[in-house]
Amino acid sequence: MVSQAAPTHERIIQTAPPRLMEGLLRPLRVFWRALRQNPVGLVGFSGLLCYALLITVGPLLVPFDNIVRLDQIAAPPGSRQVLLTRAEDAARYTTLESLAGRTVGYVRETGGEAFLRDYLRANPDAFQTEDTRWRSGRGVPDAMQALADGEIDALVVFSESVKRFIPHDPATPFTNLVVSNPALGAPHLLGTDTQGRDIFSHIVNGGSALIYTALLAGFFSSLIAVTLGSLAALIGGVVDNVLTSIANFVLTIPGFPLLVVLASLITLNNMVLLAALIGALSWPVLMRAVRSQVLSLRERDYVEAAVALNLGLPHIILREILPNMMSFVAINFIFAVTSAMYQQVGLIFLGMAPINDYTWGVMLYFGRTRGTLFSADSALMVLAPVLAIAFFQVSMVLFARAVEEMFDPRLRTAK
Amino acid sequence: MATLNPPIRSASSRPPSLTASARLRRLARSYTLRVFAQAVVTVWAVITFTFFLIRLMPGNPVDVYIDFLMNQQNITYEEARARAASQFKFDPDANIFVQYGEYMGRLIQLDLGESITSTGTRVIEQIARFLPWTVFSVGLGLFISFILGVTIGTIMAYLRNSWLDNLFSLLASILGAVPNYIWGLLILIVFGVQLQWFQVGALRGTYNSSLTPGFNLTFLLSVLTHAALPVLVYVLGSIGRWMLNMRNSTIGTLGEDYVSVARARGLPPSRILLAYVGRNAALPMFTLLAIDIGFIIGGSVIIEELFVYKGIGSFLFWSISQRDYTSMQGVFLVITISVVFSNVLADLLYSQLDPRVRVGGGEK
Repeated sequence: MVSQAAPTHERIIQTAPPRLMEGLLRPLRVFWRALRQNPVGLVGFSGLLCYALLITVGPLLVPFDNIVRLDQIAAPPGSRQVLLTRAEDAARYTTLESLAGRTVGYVRETGGEAFLRDYLRANPDAFQTEDTRWRSGRGVPDAMQALADGEIDALVVFSESVKRFIPHDPATPFTNLVVSNPALGAPHLLGTDTQGRDIFSHIVNGGSALIYTALLAGFFSSLIAVTLGSLAALIGGVVDNVLTSIANFVLTIPGFPLLVVLASLITLNNMVLLAALIGALSWPVLMRAVRSQVLSLRERDYVEAAVALNLGLPHIILREILPNMMSFVAINFIFAVTSAMYQQVGLIFLGMAPINDYTWGVMLYFGRTRGTLFSADSALMVLAPVLAIAFFQVSMVLFARAVEEMFDPRLRTAK
Repeated sequence: MATLNPPIRSASSRPPSLTASARLRRLARSYTLRVFAQAVVTVWAVITFTFFLIRLMPGNPVDVYIDFLMNQQNITYEEARARAASQFKFDPDANIFVQYGEYMGRLIQLDLGESITSTGTRVIEQIARFLPWTVFSVGLGLFISFILGVTIGTIMAYLRNSWLDNLFSLLASILGAVPNYIWGLLILIVFGVQLQWFQVGALRGTYNSSLTPGFNLTFLLSVLTHAALPVLVYVLGSIGRWMLNMRNSTIGTLGEDYVSVARARGLPPSRILLAYVGRNAALPMFTLLAIDIGFIIGGSVIIEELFVYKGIGSFLFWSISQRDYTSMQGVFLVITISVVFSNVLADLLYSQLDPRVRVGGGEK
């Protein structure tokens, strides 16, 4: 008997590594198969993947644009730097390289200056430059005049400025000027804000702080809820009564107004502190659900066996009970994250959370305080973060509903 | 259910035969009284909590205000302290528990102190001015979304797994997922600024300020049009939850035996829908109502600020941005009380609809 048992034991140890892999991969495969049959959940899941990419890879690809450009205020999507030359030179000077040895003009404190500075950093002494001082709107036509007079050979200028001065202004008819390269600079995909900065770069860079804080808050809230809920249900008696009363009490406190009041008393510029506060106010709903769930799980045989074996509370909670309500906790975690996002962006929107990162919430705040909300030209400055937040929340909730359906057969096969 | 009520009522209409202690016991068992007692205890706990929170915080508003007075008006610490004490109505040298006792004593007389920024204005008067608008707009929004959501949810449950159900489920998920102030911003930008369907500026405030408040059609219309946007946003933000919860609740109820029996008895579908399915499926909605009220009132801080609707939420924000701590404390208190008593209202409604709660003591 003993000699027979030993090899079996060894075999189990030998096969342990593949089993471990299998154990990790199998739930993933089951999850993927279930998700494939649920188009709505798939949309939510892909949306979340996009956001994960956006906040991890995005900032590496598109750096945050913080250059103020006086000629590009509230420009429409797709506008960019163009190369302007005299009509007779249009065929010759189409790129910056073709201008070697010539004189290229730009207007100070505009996107043209920023663009040329970057180019000259890579290719010093490529050509001579001639700058025109920015004089409240007159700088651009002055530079165009210089080009028309032959003082410079080409002008790096913003596409909206060309539209504004060339066909429309009869006082300065630069009839001999043409755009020789309409796509010199990269386009502003979503246009620019009230300081001439690229909105797209703000969208790419403005999500990570919000999403990390929301995830952290969701984690705190779930942690408190699962711990207190399990303790209340497993210990019972006075502990249960006290914890349930605390939960009911916290549930009645209007969380968002309390956050606003707290934000006025302490500076909420710490991401972890904000997440902890949001988490500390939002655990009761999940805690009560966990409590009733554990109360019913407690009656199961395997839990009773663990209790009889005196395996200890941490073991019973972590090994026997928690795995059986993981899906339930996961769904509630997602909802806690969306609710944390709601509160956090709401606080920033009201200007109650100090502004360290230029997040989507800060874009909304400036939209409200600087009046861009009410101007049709700068709509994208507010609309873009609005949609970014909305799609994030929708992806989260659609994914949560899909997970819910996967695990709740009553909803899946409701007759 | 209906036959349960008359005996109980007739029992209570025979007071002479009851002794005083029996009557007391009956009173203690009364569901309504228990709910109210719980609410009062909660409100007391919240008051105590905020009192100590504000006093013991590192950025204690009294100290901040004293600093502010010293810097602003170049007065000595003692003068500033005396001024702060008179406005907060507290004795800074007293023990914090004595202060707490005095504060509670004044609260019972509905004295919330004076506003710091507009001296001479009592906080309670400010609140009385702003609170009705929030109660009106939030109440109307909740009412509309509840009725609409529960109706659509029932329809979804009856047509479950049809394309209409799937479409509405998706719609409800999206409506519920997006924060209500995001809906507000979208409506403002798309319909107000871009399409110009309405004048954003003209809809600010609670009513057209050129009108004198009165019970006439023009005034009421003005009140309704000014409340339209906040109400719409409250509806959009909460209707998704009602639809989905009512759908799932109704599907659960439709599988119950008593519904099958009612069908087998050949009762008309309309009667089954209203008396058997609807009533039972709607019950869990009332517990959700309590949670939703707190949520919407909390969110009204943002919504009212966004639409410049002068309710209690925008007043809270105003008092915070003005560092008017007495007003802030008072408003937060009133918001808490309204949330707690909305819960009471929801509980009582629930107990009216479901006699089991009253008899069973509300325990699971």
